[in-house]
Amino acid sequence: MRELALHIMDIVENGLAAGASIIHLAISEESNVNRLRITIRDNGSGIPAENLARAADPFFTTRTTRRVGLGLSLFRESARRCEGDLTIASREGHGTEVQATFRCDHIDVPPLGDMAGTLSSLLMGNADVDFCYIHELDGRSFEFDTREVKKELEGLSLTTPAVLQHIIGMIRQGLAELYKQDC
Amino acid sequence: MTVGDVQRLLKLELCAGSSGLVSDVGGGYCGDLLSDVMANAREGQVWLTIQGHQNIVALAVLKKISAIVLVNGLRPDDETLSRADAEGIPLLCSTETAYALAGLLGKIGAGRESA
Repeated sequence: MRELALHIMDIVENGLAAGASIIHLAISEESNVNRLRITIRDNGSGIPAENLARAADPFFTTRTTRRVGLGLSLFRESARRCEGDLTIASREGHGTEVQATFRCDHIDVPPLGDMAGTLSSLLMGNADVDFCYIHELDGRSFEFDTREVKKELEGLSLTTPAVLQHIIGMIRQGLAELYKQDC
Repeated sequence: MTVGDVQRLLKLELCAGSSGLVSDVGGGYCGDLLSDVMANAREGQVWLTIQGHQNIVALAVLKKISAIVLVNGLRPDDETLSRADAEGIPLLCSTETAYALAGLLGKIGAGRESA
């Protein structure tokens, strides 16, 4: 995939398909240890222990569970290509955590891509699910949490076009500020 | 054959880097994995790719690639455009696939490697 945001979208959709009511997304970049870490955690139905080992196997797509497709295997391949790896931890009935690591300065690390667009399209299709996104860059961080936003909206829907536009702007600006100070 | 000739014959949209249109073209390379392109692309080639971030311009400069063609209707990032202008690497866009464009490059005689 061209961008990390597309990989993230795919994994988040796994969580949504598993009936998650909240998705935690954490991206952390630490230049001193040359590590990029992406963690996606959901509180969905989880992956049964007997399927966990095969969850990132591309030929293990199941009609019965519909939990995983090619998303995990592509993400894992991308991470491994960049001297990182992908791990999946899951407990049935409690949720799943997918963590991918990359060597920050590896030439094949995909660009982050449009996180604001990705998050807003996830929000749009899943108004009843909460999303908590934390992006850390060498100790500084940007945080976006729909639970906080909903409090401020006082009943107004998150998926109102004007609200979504505002959210996109908010995330774009937050990330731009985070990266600006980095250079 | 120059990049300008290729642009005209393949009906590519010039997005940036017009100062490099006079560069000679000798063959081409298709690849979306930057490490692979770094290892295998050669000087003077036209590079067909889906990647649009600014690293592609850095790689083109490093490998002395004559031009970059973004396939499948994909668009380069804003930073990529300004880098391409600054470095004089023509950035061309097409809605065609890499396969179709590589075939056309061969047909017009740009597919041959310069000796």
